[in-house]
Amino acid sequence: MYEVLDDFAQTNGLRETSPGLKLFVGLSSILLCVSSPGPAAPLLVAATMSAAILALAKIPARFYARLLLVPVSFAVMSIAVVLFVTGSGAVLLEVPGLPLAITAGGANLALLLLTRVFGGMCSLYFIALTTPMTEIFDILRRLRVPTVFIDLAMLTYRFIFILIEEAGQIYRSQVMRLGYGRFRESVRSFSMLAGALFIRTWESGEALVLAMDARCYDGRLGFPGEARPVSALALAAALLYLSAVFGVSLSTGGLVIV
Amino acid sequence: MHIMEGFLPSPWWEIWFIVSLPFIVIGLYQLNKLVQEKREALPLLAVAGAFVFVLSSLKLPSFNGSCSHPTGTGLGAILFGPCIAAVLGLIVLVFQAVFLAHGGLTTLGANVFSMGIAGPIVAYLVYKAGIRAGANTYATVFVAAALADLVTYVVTSIQLALAFPGTAGFLGAFSAFAAVFAVTQVPLAIIEGAVIMLVFKYIVQLKPEILTSLNLLPESTVQKLREAAA
Repeated sequence: MYEVLDDFAQTNGLRETSPGLKLFVGLSSILLCVSSPGPAAPLLVAATMSAAILALAKIPARFYARLLLVPVSFAVMSIAVVLFVTGSGAVLLEVPGLPLAITAGGANLALLLLTRVFGGMCSLYFIALTTPMTEIFDILRRLRVPTVFIDLAMLTYRFIFILIEEAGQIYRSQVMRLGYGRFRESVRSFSMLAGALFIRTWESGEALVLAMDARCYDGRLGFPGEARPVSALALAAALLYLSAVFGVSLSTGGLVIV
Repeated sequence: MHIMEGFLPSPWWEIWFIVSLPFIVIGLYQLNKLVQEKREALPLLAVAGAFVFVLSSLKLPSFNGSCSHPTGTGLGAILFGPCIAAVLGLIVLVFQAVFLAHGGLTTLGANVFSMGIAGPIVAYLVYKAGIRAGANTYATVFVAAALADLVTYVVTSIQLALAFPGTAGFLGAFSAFAAVFAVTQVPLAIIEGAVIMLVFKYIVQLKPEILTSLNLLPESTVQKLREAAA
């Protein structure tokens, strides 16, 4: 899945658009979602971001739908709690035998949260599916984030792919040998996987130190970044879109800052 | 437990960013010093970060069949100390948010605090206290990792309850959130403790130099543990 996400980020239809602009649009949409007092603006963000992902970036709809299903479980659990804990307004539904009731206030808040989470999720996927990580690092560097942090993040990023591959291999061979048949066995197998993975990664880390030393590593990693200018048309479209969302947010009850 | 993008309203997500910031700054400072002293530290830290990411994206065997995953940051804290673990946690959480939509960018501050700071600090303190008291090393690692996981989930419940106290007030909301997550999280904490303990055991058996070179265990203890295992 991770390789696939990164593949899309490298090859999608918005690849040539300035990464700074894409990041700006994604982040601003998230902020607008979080600060919107009504569910209309987050829904608009979710719709437009999904449209941008599907139509402009040309991500297959099936794949995108599967991605959206990933974070559902936590959303359902926490929103259920909010639904029952927040009580104000008319009682809509009572659970017989339990001191639980859904009230109008709780339902409204739950709906607002659901749309905010949904809008935020779509914006996050917009960033993830259109902007390769390497370009985000380049932006971070221009924002003067400490070098040691960027270097660490970049190396971590590189190792994630190697490790996932390796973990997958170990996991598949364990499954083939019935390693996850019973509960006790699965805990044992999983620990073995994690232990073996840790030792192997440590060794590959040491190998990387040697390789970097051999190439005159002096504590600094240099990566050339190519600057892609922001086209005026794209910038205008982005600003227009964001102000439209802002307008919807304002017209549905003002902006909640605090 | 990751709090999702968009879930925390203002001003709570801003507050958690501010709370997490000092730990990250101290962590970056320590990291800078460590990398300048020992150049080989950077790749090894990166490997540890990637390990935490991969571990937390693998599904653990769980009683109720839900998609639970270990936080894995306990091990990072034991190995490198809590502040550097916070920086690793930040990096891992950014990747998880951007790759997997686990967590989010506005809720990053809250997630870094629960998973990258509160949990690791507990793991680190428990581990140090246990080693100093001369307790069984494996038992100490088990307790440290399991507690780190539990603390993470308690802190997440606190964060959610503060943001959504409802009519039940903070305590009522806290117990509601805690009860919902306890179903998955308490067994998970125990499993995570067991997994990290066994990982630790494999490291002692197969590559104890890692532990001695980081000054985590004295040579003599490692020797004793290996003899006991043999």
